[in-house]
Formats: sequence, structure tokens, C-alpha cells
Amino acid sequence: MSAAELADVLAQVRAGDSDAWGELYRQYAPAIFRFCRRALPTREDAEDATTEIFMKVRQKLGTYDSSRPFTAWLYKVASNHCWDLLRRRRIRQDLETGDLETLPLEHPDPDQLEQLQLKHDSKHVRAGLAKMPDRARMALVLRYYSDMSYDEIADTLGVRRAFVGVLLLRARHQLREILAEGSGGMRSATAGGKP
Amino acid sequence: MNHFDEMTGLLYLEQQLDASHAQEVRVHVAGCGECRNLLRALELEGVWLRQSLEADDESVPARLVQAPERGSTPWGWLSALGLSAGGAYTMWSGFVEPWRAQAAQSGFTQGNILTMLFFSGAFWKGWDAMRSLTEFLAVATLGVLVIWLLRRHLRRVTAVAVVMGAVLAALAFAPAGQAADVKHGNPSYTLAVGDVVKTDLIVSADTTMIDGDVDGDLIAFSRSVTVNGHIKGDVIAFSQELRVNGQVDGNVRAFVQVMQLNSTVARNVMAWVGDVSLDQTAKVGGTMTLFAGDAELNGAIAGDLLAFLGNIQINGSLGRNALIHAGHLSIGPKAEIQGQTKFEGRQQPEIAATAKLGSPIDVTIVKHRSDKSYSSPRFYWHEVLLWGASFIFGLAMLLVMPGFFFDAAGACKRTMPAIGFGALFLIALPILAVVICITIVGIGVGIAALMFWIVAIYAAQVIVGTWLGDRLLGAAVGMGSALGRMALGLLILRVIGVVPYLGVWFSSLVVCLGLGAIVLAIYRNMRPQLTQAAAI
Repeated sequence: MSAAELADVLAQVRAGDSDAWGELYRQYAPAIFRFCRRALPTREDAEDATTEIFMKVRQKLGTYDSSRPFTAWLYKVASNHCWDLLRRRRIRQDLETGDLETLPLEHPDPDQLEQLQLKHDSKHVRAGLAKMPDRARMALVLRYYSDMSYDEIADTLGVRRAFVGVLLLRARHQLREILAEGSGGMRSATAGGKP
Repeated sequence: MNHFDEMTGLLYLEQQLDASHAQEVRVHVAGCGECRNLLRALELEGVWLRQSLEADDESVPARLVQAPERGSTPWGWLSALGLSAGGAYTMWSGFVEPWRAQAAQSGFTQGNILTMLFFSGAFWKGWDAMRSLTEFLAVATLGVLVIWLLRRHLRRVTAVAVVMGAVLAALAFAPAGQAADVKHGNPSYTLAVGDVVKTDLIVSADTTMIDGDVDGDLIAFSRSVTVNGHIKGDVIAFSQELRVNGQVDGNVRAFVQVMQLNSTVARNVMAWVGDVSLDQTAKVGGTMTLFAGDAELNGAIAGDLLAFLGNIQINGSLGRNALIHAGHLSIGPKAEIQGQTKFEGRQQPEIAATAKLGSPIDVTIVKHRSDKSYSSPRFYWHEVLLWGASFIFGLAMLLVMPGFFFDAAGACKRTMPAIGFGALFLIALPILAVVICITIVGIGVGIAALMFWIVAIYAAQVIVGTWLGDRLLGAAVGMGSALGRMALGLLILRVIGVVPYLGVWFSSLVVCLGLGAIVLAIYRNMRPQLTQAAAI
């Protein structure tokens, strides 16, 4: 869908055209579902969230600034919604944050890190993501799937911008450890380089 | 330059370093193979992550192909939930209400408020005319509530809802259609002498007069109920006055202001009542359980007597034991108690010299609360128990609704608005509940609102205690730290709460603050879209 077509469809949706709404939905729902599938721990959560996100989109379409890219706005709505869902499961989030703050970081051995990447395909990574704490998973998804800037990630997750890098690095470490555990050698696979 | 760390490497790759720092890294990497390797590994990891995340290895579910329509109504759902709501209403009125009186014996002490609600004269005026509307609104309200509660799970539990709806509907309508005769007064209802109702009889009327016989139970919602006929089942009355002059083969369960028993009740009597009198000709075949203001018992009770009341006069016979908690006990000259009598009250009982007692009365004089002694270890033990109870309540809250719990505790930060809302909620909700009971939705919703109000008042200390613990020890994460902070906060609240004079005011302030925080948290949770809009 070209920019002009999208603008036309959005105008029709705003005017209450249900066909245009259906077209917009069909165009973007799969992408939003894939985003939710990566951001949320279960498929059921992702399905529900996709529907809810589009209900919100329809309600809030009037607030969309057409000078900005629609997809960026859409992903912003989606990421806020997903994070809001996860935030409500506060106990888990708090426990994760605690883990995050105390996690010791060891420098990776570059060779072993490359070996780890070679060993694990996208399915392994996705399975590993599902085991990660919510905030760490969300940070990776926002950065490496939605391609959000550090400012946008900070805004979505409600953290200081300076903390985003720490969050991402620790998330990478957590993913490495999960994958390494799955292949039988946590420390040996990733850690052990420089002090 | 020394080797840079992994964090610096990542920020360099993601172009988050300032220009001078990035230049330093660039220069260092040019001459350091070790760091170059690290940088390369991190870069590859980033690419690997992107590729892994972008890999489309999962199909989009078919149900997401259709766009959700705003305002579209799932009629199957509405039907199922409507039936469920009807079932829930019937479950409430048919099962919960009658048993609630029994629950009162377990320590629920809001009897006076409920009695006032149920039996104020204004409530019953025009009741019959409003009954249909009231029932409809009660069902509709419950339906809306269920829909709201299930809004996030509608699709997932559709099948369950349909099945449950059908089951509850069966529960709701089968008994009403086949096993009970429902009568509406206009405005009064009379079952004439000689008339016989072969099933249960449910009556709602301004005045109910039962001169005929009922083969099943009599369930009456009325300002005044008089039973002169023969009831072969139970008598269950929700009324201002209840007079039983005819024989009852079952039990009498009453939720009334004034009750007079002048005949034989074959089984048990249980009453939540303002004034009760058992005539000298009356007989109760089983146990008599009273939760009352004043009682005058001149008749015969074959079983035990369990009574929680203000004043009681016994001048009849009692076949077994008596356990009485009362302000004042008077045992008259004709009294005859064959079992043991235990009495707890604030003053010694008056016992006529000619009264016949199976054994000496076991009397325990209870001190008034104002008599509490700060020097008594028991007082402090009692406070510790209260602290423990509030902690366990808080633990349950934390486990059941962690998100809401922390939202409410966080809302305490807005101290002044929270106190304002809390004070408003504290005063307004009971009034609103009374209005709901009398005019709008119905007893069920009104009582539920009052129950929520009572629970919220108790929960207020837990919320404020958690917030206070956070303030003192600093914010922390994890359940363990939350519990520790809650325990400390509750301890402080309880210590200050027992300080004479100051404690009362302080506790009131805590209740207002906690209630306000709960209200703010509810408001926030009911409007997630506002938060969303603010974040966009």
C-alpha cells in the first residue's frame, strides 16, 4: 500500500467506512500479531493483544499525526499496549527487575559467542525469548524487531534513556545464558573473555 | 587506551556514543585485535538477533483475518451472559440470601446496617410495584458486570460461557417454573382459610397473611408477615414483622425487625432480628439461634439456645444447653434449663430464686473496650494478632491482585487527592448503597456495594502500610521486599493506632488515605486507554 493509498484509507476509516477499516486491518494485523507474538510470552496473549490493539487504533485514530509514519505510530500503540499488559503482571516484572539489577556480567568470549549463534536458529532464539523476563524480552523486540530508537524504548518501558543500553546488554546476556543452558553449557558457551 | 568493555562496544555499534568517545573506540579497534573480535561478535549477534526475530515461522491465526468491528455485538455471547446473569441472580436470591443469616453467626457484625436496609419502612413501600423493574435492573447490572470482568477473555471462554450459562439457566428457571408458586401482593396477599398451596410459596407483598396451608416452604418478602395456617416446610421471612401463630413443620429462618412465635416450630429457629418473643405456649423442637437486640423467651425450646444479643429474658424451658452473649441476662422464676448455661456479658445475670437450672451458670464478665489496659500483656498479644491478620489479608491481596495492589500503594503518593477521595468514598458509598437498595437496582447490588465498602476499609491499612514501608525503606522490587515493607508499615500503623486519642484520628486518616488510593487505582485500571493515550 503506497503512502497516498494509506492516507486515503485512513481518511475513510476516520469517516467511519468499515470497508476501509477492514482493508487497514488486513494490511497490518499480521505484522502486529507477529510483533505481539515476540513481545508477549504466549500465542494466546498475542492473539488477544492484536485484537485489542486494533480496537484501540480505531478509537485513537483521531490522535494520529499524519505527518509521521503510520507504521511507527501503530507500533508505538502496540508496544505500549503490550508493555501495559506485562506491567500489570507486576510481581513478575519486579522479580525480573531484581534479577536484572544483580546479574553479574561477564565478558563474552567472541569465539564462543559466534559458536552459540551458529548453533541456534531462529526457532531456538524465539523459544529462548519466551523464557526471558518480560522487560528484557521487550527491550530486544523493540530494538531488533521494531527497530525503535533508544528514546522510544526508554519512553515505552518507562526507563531513563541512559539505562536502555544496559537493559539491552543484560537482555543479550540473559538470552545467551538461556540458549547456552539449553545446549548444556552455560558459562563455557559465552563467558570467559577479558575481565 | 585500555580495552573497552562490552557495554561500550554495544553502544558504539548502535551509534549511541558521542563523537569523541566513538572516535576513541574506532582508533583503539584499529590497533587491537582482541577488541575488534569482540566488536565483530557483538555486531554479528545483533544481525543474528534481527534475523531470528524477523523470521516468519508462525502462521497468523485465522480468527485474526477478520477485522474487529467496534460496536458489533456477539449475540451468542450476550445471550449466554444474560442467562448466566439470570442464573447468578437466582442463585443469590435462592441460595445465598437464606444462608447469609447463618454466615452472620461466624462473626459478621454488620447486622444492624443490613437490618436497617432491609426493614426500613420506606423500603417496603411500593415494593410490589417496583419488583419487576428491580429484578430486571439487578439482572442487567450483573450481566454488565460479568461482561466487564470477562472482556479480556471473551473469545477464549466462549464455549465455557455457553455451557455455564445453560447450566445456570437450568438452575434458575427449573425450580421457579415447577417447584414454587410465586405470588405478588396487590398490595397485600392473603392465603385464605381452607386454601392449600401444594408447592413452595414465594410471596412479595406489603402485607402477607397466610391463613391457609402450605405443603412446601413459605418464603416471604414483605413488610408484615402473619402465619396462621399450617406450613409443612420452612418459613423464610425477610420482613419488618413476622408473627407465627400456626404450626411450622420445618424451620423458621427470619431476617426481621420484630418476630413473635406463638405456636409450634418442629425444627430449628434461626433469626437475625431486632426484637423476638417466644410466647409461653410456643414450642421449638430443635435449636434456637438468635442474633438480636432484645429477646423474651417464655416458651419451650427442646434443643440448645445460642444467642448473641443485647438483652435477654428467659422464663420458659430449655431442653439442652445455652450459650449466651448478651449485655444483660435475666432468668425468671418459671425458667427451667436442663443443660449447662454459659453466659458472657458485661454484668452479672439476674436469676430468680425459683428458676430451675441443670447446673450453675458459667459466667464470664467481659470488660468494655474502653477498659483496655495498656499494661496487660494480653492487650499487646491482641494487637499482635490484629497485625498478623492484616498482614495475612495483605498477603492474600498481593497474591490475588498484585498489579492492583501496587497500583493502589503507588496511588498513596498523591496524598491529598487520595485523602479527599477516600473521605468522599467513605461517606458516599453507604448512602449510595442505601439508595440503590431502595430505589434503583436492588438488594443484591446494594449489599455487594456495602460488602466491598467494608472490605475496602479493612484493606486501606494494608495499602497505606505498604506505601509507608516503601517510604521508610526505599522502593524495592520483588515479592519478598514488598511483604517486608508491608509488615513494617502495618506494624507502625498499629503502634500509632493504639496511642490514646491520637490513634483514633490517625487511624481515620489512614482509612481515608487507603480508601482514596484504592479508588484512584480502580479508576486507573478501569481506564487503561487514558494511560495509553497519555503515553502516545
